[in-house]
Amino acid sequence: METNKKMCIGLFSGSIDKLTAAGIVMGGAVADDMDIDVYVLLQAARAFRKDIADDYSKLELAENPTYKDQFVKSMEGLNIKTWLQVFRELKAAGNIKFHICGTAGKVWDAYKMEDFVDIADEICGIGGYITDSQNADVHLFI
Amino acid sequence: MTQEELMQLEITKTVDARGTSCPGPLLAAKKAMGEINSGNILEVLSADEGTKKDIPKWATKKKHEYLGTVEESGFFKIYVKKA
Repeated sequence: METNKKMCIGLFSGSIDKLTAAGIVMGGAVADDMDIDVYVLLQAARAFRKDIADDYSKLELAENPTYKDQFVKSMEGLNIKTWLQVFRELKAAGNIKFHICGTAGKVWDAYKMEDFVDIADEICGIGGYITDSQNADVHLFI
Repeated sequence: MTQEELMQLEITKTVDARGTSCPGPLLAAKKAMGEINSGNILEVLSADEGTKKDIPKWATKKKHEYLGTVEESGFFKIYVKKA
């Protein structure tokens, strides 16, 4: 029996633009029936806090930060959903697991699963990321 | 297939993904494929330029048969036969 290809993403960025890009890449991978493991690292762990994730006033762009308003407005005009909505829909459509780095969470005062958005699957150490990235067919660091 | 032949296909299911950007149409196509039977024909409506190349490539990889694309005003129709 043919097994699905695996993608592993080290998601470091907590910026709107890079999270959006990650969502687009994951969308392609879900359409290709890939199994995806996302390791939510330092800045991304802040974006995954449930009191921050959906609040674009608390998130910035990684590049061209002065164009944030234009970027957000353009996304809305194109009917592109927020990064969290995209992640949530992809998780429902495919096999995606979001592993939150425990240390990263602590940096942002988030210690328990209930501190994070509902798509988070577990709080973990770095060992899982190293193993999954070694076993993945595609490994990305965003 | 010619444009005329494409226009005369017996469509099993149509998904209108014109309101979405990449990868929306691709994901809509994947979902719709799961809802039709082998040999059935899926029509995907998209206004996203990238989808024109994306869906044929995806369909071929998934062993479906890409039948062709018809250009309309401001959008296009992509036809895929399920494997």
